[in-house]
Amino acid sequence: MALQDLSAEYLEESPIRFGQIRPVRSVGAASSPDSPALSWPPGLPLASSHCVPLPFPMAHGTTTLAFLFQGGVMVAADTRSSCSGLVACPASQKILPIHSHLVGTTSGTSADCALWKRILARELRLYQLRHGRRVSTSGAAKLLARMLHPFKGAAASLCYVCSDGTRLQGALFSVGSGSPYAYSILDQGVKWGLTVDQATAVAREAVYRATHRDAYSGNCVDVYRVSSEGWTRRTREDLKEEYYREEERRGRPSE
Amino acid sequence: MALLQVCGFTPYAELRGQILPAGQTHLVDRTNHYSFGTNTQEFAVPLGVDPSGFLKSCNREGGVCIDLNHGTTTLAFKFKHGVIVAVDSRASAGRYLASNDVNKVIEINPYLLGTMSGSAADCQYWERLLAKECRLYRLRNRQRISVAAASKLLCNMMLGYRGMGLSMGSMICGWDNEGPGLYYVDDQGTRLSGPMFSTGCGSSFAYGVVDSGYRDDMSVEEAYELGRRGIAHATHRDAYSGGVVNMYHMQEDGWIKVCKEDVSELIHRYRKGMF
Repeated sequence: MALQDLSAEYLEESPIRFGQIRPVRSVGAASSPDSPALSWPPGLPLASSHCVPLPFPMAHGTTTLAFLFQGGVMVAADTRSSCSGLVACPASQKILPIHSHLVGTTSGTSADCALWKRILARELRLYQLRHGRRVSTSGAAKLLARMLHPFKGAAASLCYVCSDGTRLQGALFSVGSGSPYAYSILDQGVKWGLTVDQATAVAREAVYRATHRDAYSGNCVDVYRVSSEGWTRRTREDLKEEYYREEERRGRPSE
Repeated sequence: MALLQVCGFTPYAELRGQILPAGQTHLVDRTNHYSFGTNTQEFAVPLGVDPSGFLKSCNREGGVCIDLNHGTTTLAFKFKHGVIVAVDSRASAGRYLASNDVNKVIEINPYLLGTMSGSAADCQYWERLLAKECRLYRLRNRQRISVAAASKLLCNMMLGYRGMGLSMGSMICGWDNEGPGLYYVDDQGTRLSGPMFSTGCGSSFAYGVVDSGYRDDMSVEEAYELGRRGIAHATHRDAYSGGVVNMYHMQEDGWIKVCKEDVSELIHRYRKGMF
C-alpha cells in the first residue's frame, strides 16, 4: 500500500501523456481511475507530427545487433557515441538491462534512448509490483512503442522498436549506421544450433567488421547474452587489439 | 581591327579561306559527332542550362520524376593469383526493376576489365570510350596500356565533366607489367589504388563479408567462393541488387569468366540450417 502511494506520488501523470498533448476528458466517458482515458476530442491530432529543429547535430551513429539461437538471445553493440564527426564518448553503454531477463539496445539520439529506457524500466517495475508478474519481451516492446497495454508473451524473443512506432518481431536484427556491415556477417554465420561460444564469436566479428568500415562505430564491443537464467555480460573488449591481431594473422606488418 | 592584327589573331574564316577553296564547308572542319574528340581531347559543354540543376528539378516531388538507374553491388579484390571481379545483375529505375540480367562488367580488352555502378548509361558510354582509347594506345605505342594509365584516362574524362551530373563508380582491373592492378574511379574524379573495393548501394554488405574472409594468400577456389558470398549476401539484404553473380578472374595471361550463378540459389545453399 505504502509503495503504491509512493508510486502514485512519483507518477504525476500517466506515461501515455508524457510529452504528448493532454487529452480532454469528454463528459460521460466511462473510465476507471486506474487506466488513463483515451478520449481524444475530435480534430485534435493523435500524435504531434511537428519536428522540432535540432539546435546542433545529435549523437547518431552506432552498430547494435541481436539474434536468437538455441542458447537464448545474443546481443552485441559498439561503444562509440559520435556527434557529427566528433567522438563524444568512446565508452558509452548502448546495451541497457531493463530487468533480470530483459535487455534493450539503443540507437539514435543517446539522450532520448537513455530517457525512454529509464521510463520503461520504471513502468515495468510498477507493473511487476501491481500485478505480481514480469512483463514479457514483446509486452515490454509494445509498452515502449505505445506506453500502454502489455500482454502475455512466449519464451526467448526479440523485437525491434523504432521511434516512428514500428514494432517488428524477428530472429535477427541489426540497427545503426554500421548495420549493413554487420548484417552480412550475421547472415553468413548465424544458425539456430550455434553453441554459446560460436554465437559470441559471430556477434563479436559482426560488430568488429562494422566498426572497421563505419566511421561512426568503433572503440569497444559489449556482448550480452539473455537466457532463461537471466542476462550475462562479457568483459568489454577493445577492438583495436583485435585489429592488430588480425593484421598479424594475415602476415601484414602493422605500422 | 588594328589590335587584332597586332596580336596576330587571324579570324578562322579568313584562315580557312586561304587553305581551302571558298564555298564548300567540309564536315571535317566543324564540330560534329563523327570527328569530335579524335584529334585532340575536347569537352562538349551544354549551352546555358546547368545539367545537375536540371536533374535536381526533374526529381522534385509531384513533378515528373526521372530516377536514374543506380542500385547495384560490385566488388573486386586483388590476391596472390590475380584479381577477382564479382558483380550482380540488377538494373533498377527507382522502384521499377528494369532488368535482372544486365552485365555490369565491360570487357575492355582481353587483359582489362571495367565494372559499372551508378547510372547505367553513363557507365556504358564512358567505359566504351575508354575501350576505344585503350585500343588507340595499343595501335600507336605498340604495347598494351597499363592499368594505371587506363584508369587515369577514365578519371580525366570524369574530371572534364565534373559537377555536371554524371554518376559512375567503376573499378578498372587488369594485369600489366607491375602485376595485378585494381583501381577505383568515380564520377567525382576520385582515383584510388587498393587491394579491395566494393561499390554501389549494396557495397556495405559486401564489405563485411569480404573483409572477414580475405587473405592475401588465398587459393583460387577460396577467392571464387569469397566473391560469390560477397555478392550473394549483399543481394540478400539490398533491395536494389539481385539477379545473378557474374564473376571474372583476371590472370596473368588475361581474364576468364568464372561463373554466372543465380543469387537465390546461392543464398539457399548458404543459409541451410538457419531458421
